[in-house]
Amino acid sequence: MEKAKILIVDDDPDLRQALKLRLRANQYDTVHAVDGYSAIALAYKEHPQLIILDLGLPAGDGFVVLDRLQKDDKLSGIPVIVLTARDAPSSEQRCLHAGAAAFFQKPADNAELLGVIRATLKTTGSVLPS
Amino acid sequence: MTDESTHVLLIEDNPGDADLVRLRLTEGKSPVDVSCVDKLSDGLASINKEPPSVVLLDLNLPDSHGAETFRTVLEKAPDVPVVILSGQDDEALAIKAVHQGVQDYLVKGDFTAHHLERAMHYAVERQALLRSLEMSRKQQLEFKNHFLSHVSHELRTPLTCIHQFASILFDGLAGDLTADQRDHVRTILKSANQLHAMVRDLLEAARVESGKIHLEPRCLTIGDLIQQAVTMMSPTAREKGIGLEMGLDSRIPLICGDPDRVIEILINLIDNGIKFTPRDGSVMVKACMLDHDTDFVYISVTDTGRGITPEAKALIFERLYQDPNAVDNNRKGLGLGLYITKELVNLHGGKIWVTSDPGHGSTFTFTLPVYSLPKLLSPVITYKGRLRDAFVVVAVALAPISEPPASNWKETSERCLEILRRCIYLDKDVVLPGMGITGPAETFYVVASTDLARADIMMTRIREQLDRQVEFKANGRLTVSAKAVPLPEDISARPLEAQVEAVANSVTEMVLSDLGLKCFSRTQEAKQNN
Repeated sequence: MEKAKILIVDDDPDLRQALKLRLRANQYDTVHAVDGYSAIALAYKEHPQLIILDLGLPAGDGFVVLDRLQKDDKLSGIPVIVLTARDAPSSEQRCLHAGAAAFFQKPADNAELLGVIRATLKTTGSVLPS
Repeated sequence: MTDESTHVLLIEDNPGDADLVRLRLTEGKSPVDVSCVDKLSDGLASINKEPPSVVLLDLNLPDSHGAETFRTVLEKAPDVPVVILSGQDDEALAIKAVHQGVQDYLVKGDFTAHHLERAMHYAVERQALLRSLEMSRKQQLEFKNHFLSHVSHELRTPLTCIHQFASILFDGLAGDLTADQRDHVRTILKSANQLHAMVRDLLEAARVESGKIHLEPRCLTIGDLIQQAVTMMSPTAREKGIGLEMGLDSRIPLICGDPDRVIEILINLIDNGIKFTPRDGSVMVKACMLDHDTDFVYISVTDTGRGITPEAKALIFERLYQDPNAVDNNRKGLGLGLYITKELVNLHGGKIWVTSDPGHGSTFTFTLPVYSLPKLLSPVITYKGRLRDAFVVVAVALAPISEPPASNWKETSERCLEILRRCIYLDKDVVLPGMGITGPAETFYVVASTDLARADIMMTRIREQLDRQVEFKANGRLTVSAKAVPLPEDISARPLEAQVEAVANSVTEMVLSDLGLKCFSRTQEAKQNN
């Protein structure tokens, strides 16, 4: 069975690496983007089932990426989980209004994050790791 | 003085005195233009219209007397320098005036033109200095808070990195660890968590100080929140061998508060109690009503720790205060917890204080306001002291698909409420608390400061967000509808408080009739028929 593919968007290489290790250990396939521009490009090319998005990004911050994803018919179906170091109260509302499926503040609780990833993939009918 | 002439506003009701001052002013070296009024109200109007360089103020006027006169001027025109010209040589009054912000106090007939000119000149300079000091104080505060929030934010990224990689090691994702290695990594994780808590406190304190915390008040059962907080803190208490208990008065009404913030307050206090209580001690959380105060619920956290000295009591809610004799040095924080707690309680309109029996323990008590619909609505349906234009009640009805409902129906309905709260604008809309009286089916009501047209957008958003929830799709059925809130025709003629009350009444009636609770209106009809 094919694994669900998750696009990780974060400009910090270490955090990207950590998330990749965590997700791969949980039987997900991952692809990575370092900025807003390549995030959109990769979303087109790789057809991920889910995107984990940081907000503070070069070349179009997370809100720009969210907006682009929402306005693009081909991409608007991909659920986005925001994972950011930014202040929760102000950013969370904004992200959810902009169409994000969930919001996590770094450092996120791994079990909780994995749970939400699983639940979100289930709603879009993606193939889940057994 | 500069070449420009000084605009003097003389507030003096005695024509003789006024002429004398005018004369003195024209005798001075620098150009002066004087306008004179004989009543305080006229003086305030003139200041309002065109602020003078300096106000010369007599204290006994037809519409105001004594200290009241300068207090009014200082309050209404804090930026204008005030020099008092008084008939009384009253040193005590003069000192009082200067302490409250008056620049100088001259006794009539006791000054020459030169004296007066100098007094005015220095008054203007001092006032300008004061203003610039105040400005720079504000700027510094702003800078400090900005700096704090920037630093905490920047600290979070490397902290996340440490946390993530340590937990990758700990969870064995990078290979098996020996028992010792696991212990070491556990210590790293524990420290990372501690550091994270400190960063969070720093950010929170900066936010509190710059007034950036906005409460999302709701109608709450305080018992549920205490239960939640106690459950969350139980592992910490158990680890230290401390009993954590709760006691609830049975007749506690609903309270009005932001649930996340109330939990934060409770956790801060419980954590604090645990921190300062030795092994085998206990921490008790209680809530009760007092007969003499029906507007507030009293919540207290009592520990059996070492207690607080009277000296420490005065400082304990201050920023960065740390007890030098803390039992548990391992869990030292930044000393911001109680400060944040106090500010959060104040934001709710409550009070917090501590009583202590040194050697036997302390009790922290705080109050939260009892719930009322006008109180809940007021912050969202008013803006800058005025009632907003139009209001809509959006009803979101959830019914279980199956009979009996799925076993996780309660969680499903809670999750729906949570999502619903994210679909609204916090400053203009509010979700009313669930009534839970119509059986498993539940209806949530949103009062939105908007018209029916814009309510459509909100309803679409609610449907979309809820449709994404798989557990909901499997378990429930959703109906979303909206109705405009009818307002009495003469509403704008009423005082604001009565306007809010009128909206609250209409909302109550709409909600009750929507729920099919005719009993309310029927009793009213019965009364009318009699």
